[in-house]
Amino acid sequence: MKCLKLLPAVAIIVTMILAFGPAPEPAKAAEPTKPTFAFPAENITIEVWWHEYGPFTAYVKELIEAYKKVRPNVTINPTIASSTDMNQKLTVALAAGTGPDIMDADASYYVAYYAKGVLEPVNLDVFGVKSYQELAARYVSNGLASGTFDGKIYTLPYQGNSMSLFINNKLFAAAGLNPRKDAPKTWKDLMVLCPKLKKVEGNRTVRKAFEFPYHSPRWQLQDLQPMTEQFGGKILSDDGKTAHLNSPETVKALTLWRDVTKACGDPKNTKNTASNPNQDFLDGFSVMWITGPWATPQVQASPIKNDFTVVGLPQVNPAKPHTMVYGWAWAVNKNKPEVQKLVAWDFVKFMLAKPDEWLAKAGFVQPAKGVGETEVAKKFPFFNVHMKDVQTATWYIRSENVNEIAQAVGRAVDSVVYDRADPKAVLDAAQASVDRILKK
Amino acid sequence: MNALASTQPRPAWKRLRLNISAKQALFGYAILLPTLAIIAIFRFLPMLQAFYISLHEYDLIRPPKFIGFDNFIDLLQDPLFLNSARVSIMYVVFSCVPVWVLSLALAMLFNRRIVAKNLFRSTAFMPVVMPAVVNAVVWTFMYHQDGVVNTILGWFALDPIPWLRSSKWALWAIIIIGIWRATPYYMVIFLAGLQAIPHEYYEAAQIDGASPWRQFRHITLPLLKPTTLLVMVMSVIVAMKVFAVPLIMTGGGPADATRVLPLFIYQTAFEFFKMGRAAAMSVFLFAAVMVFTLFQIRLFSRGEE
Repeated sequence: MKCLKLLPAVAIIVTMILAFGPAPEPAKAAEPTKPTFAFPAENITIEVWWHEYGPFTAYVKELIEAYKKVRPNVTINPTIASSTDMNQKLTVALAAGTGPDIMDADASYYVAYYAKGVLEPVNLDVFGVKSYQELAARYVSNGLASGTFDGKIYTLPYQGNSMSLFINNKLFAAAGLNPRKDAPKTWKDLMVLCPKLKKVEGNRTVRKAFEFPYHSPRWQLQDLQPMTEQFGGKILSDDGKTAHLNSPETVKALTLWRDVTKACGDPKNTKNTASNPNQDFLDGFSVMWITGPWATPQVQASPIKNDFTVVGLPQVNPAKPHTMVYGWAWAVNKNKPEVQKLVAWDFVKFMLAKPDEWLAKAGFVQPAKGVGETEVAKKFPFFNVHMKDVQTATWYIRSENVNEIAQAVGRAVDSVVYDRADPKAVLDAAQASVDRILKK
Repeated sequence: MNALASTQPRPAWKRLRLNISAKQALFGYAILLPTLAIIAIFRFLPMLQAFYISLHEYDLIRPPKFIGFDNFIDLLQDPLFLNSARVSIMYVVFSCVPVWVLSLALAMLFNRRIVAKNLFRSTAFMPVVMPAVVNAVVWTFMYHQDGVVNTILGWFALDPIPWLRSSKWALWAIIIIGIWRATPYYMVIFLAGLQAIPHEYYEAAQIDGASPWRQFRHITLPLLKPTTLLVMVMSVIVAMKVFAVPLIMTGGGPADATRVLPLFIYQTAFEFFKMGRAAAMSVFLFAAVMVFTLFQIRLFSRGEE
């Protein structure tokens, strides 16, 4: 009885405690070209959200100032959020009707936004094209694939990152290797090099020859996806409705991951984090590391400086290369007045007009044609390697459940690497978990 | 005019004759009303809303779809949820029990006449005032292969432990931080309880020849019962809610080893955008905390009866 008398008080205590892309021709289209549409004359304010990355933020702010001079009647209000929070903030804001006119998100998330009906297709008039095909033709093959839904283009990427192999020249040379001549082309080549590059003193790993990512499931999927494709498989069907996580090809890929790790790395020792994913490589703790072109300024600012080499992603069969591309893209909010949507697309066009500046100022590679011919690209370290990897790439998987699939993959990788679990068994479990999600 | 006014009947509220105690009670409720309203709007209403959402399939943008108790039924068959519940229970058990013992021991120590007592008390309390995020970042460095913790182990010829990169050790690493952070907080509560015990009881016991252990067993512990109940209830609830440290240090990994329930709820809601499912998990968590709290109260009140 005493217990019952105390129930309201307990409820209050518990509650209180619980509460707590053409590529427009580089360097030509800085200003909106002769409009094939009527640009509004009244004063208009639009909101732009993007994810925080120092050089990127500085460049977009610069673009806003430049746009003001071209379109004095438009005011652009910027909001910047961390990359890890952006998807969450966008979804909540869109749900509350307070979303921005122009949004920035990881390309793999847009399929969910499309399904939820919040994306506006590209305004063809603003881009001066007659069809989506004409717009897509301005980009490399599949360059706009991540933002194309049911034949219409909804998002335009400002970065499409290949994942290539970065090599620390100094450490490579210290092992008697020549980074240009001896750089691995296949995973087997890589495993042969590892004993020469890895350094262990007693029970402490002093240097890793190569390491896969362990700081984020999304990064783990970034590497497992191309490896699976190199074996001829797929992580997810093209329609995004069927996962193939326990297919023989994915099992082979995960087994290869385990074998490479045994020979080359020490996943139990890493300083890589979501905010500093390249840390081990920058510190000289890993000799080789797979990352994107955007990491170049970071590497140049580290003790490595310009003493590095970038080669293509290691392959199972170099004659049939398979790589992966992921990126971030601009999109326009469908639930905004027509005039704002028009201005929003106009500003997106303005922002994307100079791919060479994007490369020079933010280190981002637009998957647009003609970028490689610009002076900036010619000076950008290993630009052709990055572009070659983009040309043989498929985009990071598209699914409304991409985060859950990445989590399932990350769990499987962790279990194999940290708990020595059988790749087939953990991938069966991952498949079962993803099947549960996709069936709904 | 006066005559007219006097003939009109007095309003009903003026005819109410209240005695002094009723007036005092009314005044008391009037003062409580704003606070109760705030609690109702900002605490109870969201909880009811959470229960309502738990009965729906809802991704924040598309309209909620009523699915009855499907979320609850599905969760009970979901290995990931069951694993997360298991991790949370392990965290609660293995962090709370040491906290109860250590905080009481520290409180008893600081209740004695020792040199620089206040300095030691303040120093011991520092982990509590440090933000959880700072704790997580500092401990991440401390747990590194060449960090302070492994360096200390090295002094004893022990191999470095991959604290955060091993599914065997990661949860223990998080538990250690939980103990380190919570102990001083509950120490202060125990200290207040100890200081409320009249010193005469101990003097009388000493005169009767009671040993320190008997004094502790028959005076301190019984008189600390309400404080102990408060500490146990609060520590379990706080441990059930652990979130920031595993989020920052491990993100729930490796291989889900540190995916405590609040972290899984957050990920389900704001990474997977399954608000209904996340709300159902919250209801389960709430129920678990409620049951555990009632159980503790019953355990303590039985002794009194």
